[in-house]
Amino acid sequence: MEASLERKYNFDVVRWFTIMAVVYLVVGASVGVYIAAELAWPALNLDSPYLSFGRLRPLHTNAVIFAFGGCTLMATAFYTVQRTCGARLWSDKMAWFTFWGWNLVIVLAVITLPLGLTQSKEYAELEWPVDILIAVVWLSFTINFVMTIANRKSSHIYVSNWFFLGMMIMIVYLHVVNSLAIPVGLFKSYSVFSGVQDAMIQWWWGHNAVGFYLTAGFLGIMYYFVPKQAGRPIYSYRLSVIHFWALMFGYVWLGAHHLQYTALPDWTGSLGAAVSIAMIIPSWGGAVNGMMTLSGAWDRLRTDYVLRFLIIALAFYAMSTFEGPVMSLKTVNALSHYTDWTIGHVHSGALGWVAGISIGAIYHLMTRLYHTEMFSVRLINFHFWTATIGTVIYIVAMWVSGIMQGLMWRAYDEYGTLAYTFVESVDAMHPYYAMRTVGGAIFLLGAVVMLFNILMTVRKSLSEGSLSKARALPAAA
Amino acid sequence: MSRLSDYFQTDWQAMTTNDWIGTILTVVIFLLMVGAYFYVFRPKNREKLEAMKHIPFEEDNENTGDPHGRK
Repeated sequence: MEASLERKYNFDVVRWFTIMAVVYLVVGASVGVYIAAELAWPALNLDSPYLSFGRLRPLHTNAVIFAFGGCTLMATAFYTVQRTCGARLWSDKMAWFTFWGWNLVIVLAVITLPLGLTQSKEYAELEWPVDILIAVVWLSFTINFVMTIANRKSSHIYVSNWFFLGMMIMIVYLHVVNSLAIPVGLFKSYSVFSGVQDAMIQWWWGHNAVGFYLTAGFLGIMYYFVPKQAGRPIYSYRLSVIHFWALMFGYVWLGAHHLQYTALPDWTGSLGAAVSIAMIIPSWGGAVNGMMTLSGAWDRLRTDYVLRFLIIALAFYAMSTFEGPVMSLKTVNALSHYTDWTIGHVHSGALGWVAGISIGAIYHLMTRLYHTEMFSVRLINFHFWTATIGTVIYIVAMWVSGIMQGLMWRAYDEYGTLAYTFVESVDAMHPYYAMRTVGGAIFLLGAVVMLFNILMTVRKSLSEGSLSKARALPAAA
Repeated sequence: MSRLSDYFQTDWQAMTTNDWIGTILTVVIFLLMVGAYFYVFRPKNREKLEAMKHIPFEEDNENTGDPHGRK
């Protein structure tokens, strides 16, 4: 009897999360390009507070991290947990609650952030009612995932599920603690922490949002989609187990490296930097594990554009997980902190690693979820080059700008007077800000092409009737 | 802090309950990590663990019903 995965599993919610992820990639990147242009040409804020950099920047970060990244994580987690456990999602209703709840959070962010309603905590700007909604929706995502694992057909839990689960548990813990606040109105609250403790909690959240949400979650994607797209099992399963536990053990220590040379006790920054350096080992172990999966089949990169996205993402993962620890060292941090170098580092991780692995996974998912070929493979190739070239232009511009800023701010003459005024350093950055906007616009062009390709693939599937044919097949055992 | 030994100096009398809880938890988790390394890299466990890498491909041997044969 023919078995249909369409009836066995819930792929409808995965399809919606996948499509929305691409829509949010275009929206988030568009806002990013606009605010990048505002920094190069400030008149673009049109003297409107709603369009000012200060209000649109959190909208950009929330859109790309939580809207695009969140929808990608939810699509891939719901897909891989079903495929690796051989079990349907525990609750279809709860999965749809997660979908609509998460999208409601995004809509609320789009409304409140341009209005200036913010907790002023980086990557945790949304006010307390939205924070409560985030916690409820995230818990529904987590419970559904855990219960699906509990219903699995195999005795072992595949490693990608470990990474997803590690992310889910830690994000509940981090989000709830960092968002603890006393409301003084519907749209205003004050953190229960104050002073240096508030800073410490904020960057304990801030770096772990990177470590668990943007790294562990997307490594879950890597450990499923790289082997599947390559058609070969992961290079070393044992290395993946060590990668997981080392990441879980190590990442929680790093937050203090964001607060070097501040009121924080000196030893906490040193500890954060020391563990950051140690984290290069598991991070590179994981990157090598992913890349070596292609061992003996490197020629696939010549023809498989989706695999190119996945592998180039691992290269960026290796690069940014080396750069970050180096920047956490006090000597380097003295130059790099508060400069554009940090922005360059963040975007090599965000555009190169997170977006790269997500885009590869989404293209892989599209053909399986819609049971048809992609509308255009040439457009995937075009997207690959625009994403890669755009990312490289962006991060090179920020590296040069950041190091120049750092050097100008610390330069002094023979009398001990600063050699440059702050305004001179701002003026010197202009060409690099323009270059960054161009890099971002090239990346955005690729995202728009991806959205077009994805929507045309959906249309192709509908006209061929391939999805309805797959749905009509009897369910698998 | 000019001597190496200064870096290892601890005022044990000044340790609070929170300090002790944090220290003990850190040491316990560190030992668990050592245990994890030992378990994973023990030659006896190699075959058992590496067999798990095929889980994503288990369904590929079944007919998935995809008209294009995708797994």
